[in-house]
Amino acid sequence: MAELSGWLDDYFWGAMVVLKVFGVSLTMAVIFGLMGASAKLSKNRIANKIANAYTITFRGTPEILVLLLFYYGSAIALTKIVQIFFPQMPFVDIPPFWAGSLSIGLIVGSYATETFRGAFMGVDPGIVEASRALGISNLHTFFYVRIPQMWRLALPAFGNHMLSIMKDTALISIIGLEEILFVAEMATAVTLKPFTMYMIVALIYLSITTVITMVVMLLEKHANRHLEVAK
Amino acid sequence: MKDNDNEAKIILQDVCKSFGDFQALNNINLQVNKGEKIVVCGPSGSGKSTMIRCINRLEEHDSGKIIISGRELTNEVKDIDAVRSEVGMVFQNFNLFPHLTVINNLMLALKLVRKMNKSKAREVAMGFLERVQIPEQADKYPIQLSGGQQQRVAIARALCMNPEVMLFDEPTSALDPEMISEVLDVMIDLANEGLTMICVTHEMGFARSVADSIVFMDSGEIVEMKPPDEFFNNPESKRTKAFLSQILSH
Amino acid sequence: MNLQIYLILESIPKMLTGLGVTLQLLFLSAVLGLSLGIFLLLMRISGRWYLSLPAFIYIYFFRGTPILVQIFVIYHGFPQFEFIRDSVFWPILREPFGCATLALTLNTGAYVSEILRGGYLGVQRELHEAGMALGLSKLHRFVYVTTPIAVRIAIPAYSNDFISLLKATSLASTITLLDMTGASRTIVAETFAPYEIFISAAIIYMVMTFFIQRGFGRFEKYMSRYVKP
Repeated sequence: MAELSGWLDDYFWGAMVVLKVFGVSLTMAVIFGLMGASAKLSKNRIANKIANAYTITFRGTPEILVLLLFYYGSAIALTKIVQIFFPQMPFVDIPPFWAGSLSIGLIVGSYATETFRGAFMGVDPGIVEASRALGISNLHTFFYVRIPQMWRLALPAFGNHMLSIMKDTALISIIGLEEILFVAEMATAVTLKPFTMYMIVALIYLSITTVITMVVMLLEKHANRHLEVAK
Repeated sequence: MKDNDNEAKIILQDVCKSFGDFQALNNINLQVNKGEKIVVCGPSGSGKSTMIRCINRLEEHDSGKIIISGRELTNEVKDIDAVRSEVGMVFQNFNLFPHLTVINNLMLALKLVRKMNKSKAREVAMGFLERVQIPEQADKYPIQLSGGQQQRVAIARALCMNPEVMLFDEPTSALDPEMISEVLDVMIDLANEGLTMICVTHEMGFARSVADSIVFMDSGEIVEMKPPDEFFNNPESKRTKAFLSQILSH
Repeated sequence: MNLQIYLILESIPKMLTGLGVTLQLLFLSAVLGLSLGIFLLLMRISGRWYLSLPAFIYIYFFRGTPILVQIFVIYHGFPQFEFIRDSVFWPILREPFGCATLALTLNTGAYVSEILRGGYLGVQRELHEAGMALGLSKLHRFVYVTTPIAVRIAIPAYSNDFISLLKATSLASTITLLDMTGASRTIVAETFAPYEIFISAAIIYMVMTFFIQRGFGRFEKYMSRYVKP
């Protein structure tokens, strides 16, 4: 384990990068998911079609292809635009962090779309009517009645989406982000202990996913507390 | 019927069973002889279902003895499946195999346990479907039948095994009122043919006309056991009186 | 941006070769993974802790870590050990195809066993009891009562896992394998036309996803024929 000590710092900072990607992708996935769900539930047929195309595309394409397309595709597009103004510019790089986080956000957002849509439809319309009948405004009904119920229904699937995001972060190393897989590669080159170095990456991921699982379990327990009393 | 009429089919001696802190059965003693029909009644949670589930070893009793046709049910009984195949059971919720057609529900155990070939099993199964008067439903799936029809299929499925004893666990409780009588009619026929039966039910009309004895249970105990006339006209215990006044007043 | 049609046409042969590799990876690891999943399921429901605990840990590890990391541990990591290099499996583990198949199998096996367990647990307890009351043995109950019902319950989730597996085969491209994604990447590296190539590849994956979904949908309909009146 002696060869490991020099690399602990690097693994730590690599893990921080992973967590940052996780945070940004998660936020994006929630936003895209809510947008997708509203589009699917709206009466506007064009919005329906766009949302359907979105979910079919991103659920049917391998994550790595989406990532490569965004990374190289946007670099080319951006280069062309920049070259209009600075013709001597050879190439514009897109930061892998943003290309990666956006891709993961879009991919998992397509799954979250279905989750949110299902949760929205799963709320008993009678409860919403009861709230309106009490004279509570539409907006208040949405935030105080509908959202808390939706949240409970969406949680189990959303927990799985969080785990997917976490595991998908590993892909960003492919487009050159310097996170833990990158650290493992460097460390392997020096120590010639690839199994050890990649296993550490696996264990780091395992600990993070364990924490996520536990947090989701606690949240579920909290969200379902009103059901426990009945037993 | 050359056997001795008093041959004991089921003997329960000091049977106890608890779920955690809850004492479900407390020193149950019961003997059922060949051809006898016993109706078990009592408030919910009184241990009726637990008792007949123990007889089929769907629950394991904690202490005491249960003897079925001379074979004691213990952990050592290797061929519990053989004992079970001699004891037919009809459940409250029918519990038909949803993925099998009616006829296949009947044929499954005939083929696997009785080792009959397909055509023989089919013949036997059709015979019992005719007996419960639904041979025309043979190739339907359970979900396509009404509740009363499903329960009759379940009875036929148990009868196929030619059991020495039939256990009924509230067979009409899950049925819509208009379907209760078609199931009870089948059960009355069986009783008249001399089948040994233990039946947990709240159908007091059925109990009155069919039962040799009525067993009243409360809090895991057998409070009293009497022939129907005496049971309804002369109940001894206060608990029995209270129970009877409740269910007969409606 | 002008899409160059001739580029797409030119790259079709390479892509088709890649598609072949993708399908080989998919079906090989699906079959092996299903067998592994059934094996793990039997361990988990055996009721013996020395079988169920290792299965639980195995599943926990493979579901809790990224498949890409698993591929790297196997491809880059295994050669660290001399006993692996000396073993009879070395001819398989030396090749990227063998490593990718192994990683995908181990990964999907963990997921499949959980899916099957979900189906198994979804079978009502009362149906086990009905089987017991008829005197069916434990084995007979498992084969004739539990399994057909559990399979029906598990199909939708299994269909999703199969699609995930298809998508995961693309990660084989990270260990130099020329599957469809790998082939696309080499073509893009030569021509630098990411839109044309990656989008074409994505469309092929989507078409495959569509047919997989439809196939399983039909199977589910057949298995559910007794659920609706």
